[in-house]
Amino acid sequence: MHEFSIAQGLIEAATAAAQQAGARAVTILRCRIGIIRQVDNSLLTDAFELAREGGLCSKALLDIEKVPLRAQCTACDEPFEVDDWNWRCPKCDGESRGLVGGDELELVSIEAEVDDEDPRAAERV
Amino acid sequence: MKIPVLRNVFEKNEYAAAHNRTFFDEQSVTCINILGGAGAGKTALLEALLPKLQPELQVGVLEGDLATTKDATRIANLGVPVVQLLTDGGCHLTATLVKHGLGRLPLSELDLLIVENVGNPICPANFDLGEHLRISVLSVAEGDDKPAKYPLLFKDSSLIVISKCDLLEHTDFSMESAARDIRRLAPDMEIIETAARKGTGIDRLSDWVTSKLLPRHNEGDLAQ
Repeated sequence: MHEFSIAQGLIEAATAAAQQAGARAVTILRCRIGIIRQVDNSLLTDAFELAREGGLCSKALLDIEKVPLRAQCTACDEPFEVDDWNWRCPKCDGESRGLVGGDELELVSIEAEVDDEDPRAAERV
Repeated sequence: MKIPVLRNVFEKNEYAAAHNRTFFDEQSVTCINILGGAGAGKTALLEALLPKLQPELQVGVLEGDLATTKDATRIANLGVPVVQLLTDGGCHLTATLVKHGLGRLPLSELDLLIVENVGNPICPANFDLGEHLRISVLSVAEGDDKPAKYPLLFKDSSLIVISKCDLLEHTDFSMESAARDIRRLAPDMEIIETAARKGTGIDRLSDWVTSKLLPRHNEGDLAQ
């Protein structure tokens, strides 16, 4: 159950970004999680709802983008999605080795409410 | 308004891990993190490996477990300094937990620190502890399908040990299939087959560990 650690990490990163931008509340956190991180979406959402209490993210929603396992064909160089552990290139039937995606674990962006009169918001525009 | 962030979710742990790694470098201690599912044979492997390393090297062990000091007792019986890290139900070690354990080991006297992680094929693989090298253990008894089921455990390791190979004849484990799936994830991965109770493969493992110790400061960094 590493979902709670992930929820805490997301909230810490989002809170830091929101504070830096002078935001008063975070409304959405968008994260990308590779399939081999083996994160259960409903567990992560439950953990997130517990961990968000009492801070800038207390009313935020969590948007989870799951990234599939991806490999690159050693024959034709084409990147492709490894579906159900099938490592054959769909284009040329070549065998592929080595991952090129699917282990992501990152907070990509947030949506935040910013007071227009906040000088840090003005600087950015 | 939208604010781009793009930050690693485990940034805090990565920071603590980097701190541990710097500390190990300063002390000239090589740190190995051993991972694998419950019952993969991690402790038995250490019981076979440590007596091979001890004549030449000063080794210390951090034993991660959810509960009990059973594994630490097994290691202490070999005359190796050991600290039990209990996670109280937590399914993985973190860099901070390791840091707390370090104060209870004679680190300045050690050449090698081995951290045996909590038996779990999923969560521990997500957490850098500051180790220089990572060894994942897969037992023949678990089945050859595990690299496909728990890819992260195998992808980011420095070495895979396939343990309990003396049970091969009693199972339908295919070494070829396991090795193929491991190398799909990590094409250059080295694999060592062992049977700790019989001593098989332990010399090769001991040689591998010893070869990675020097030059200590040039070791590959697991943090990516």
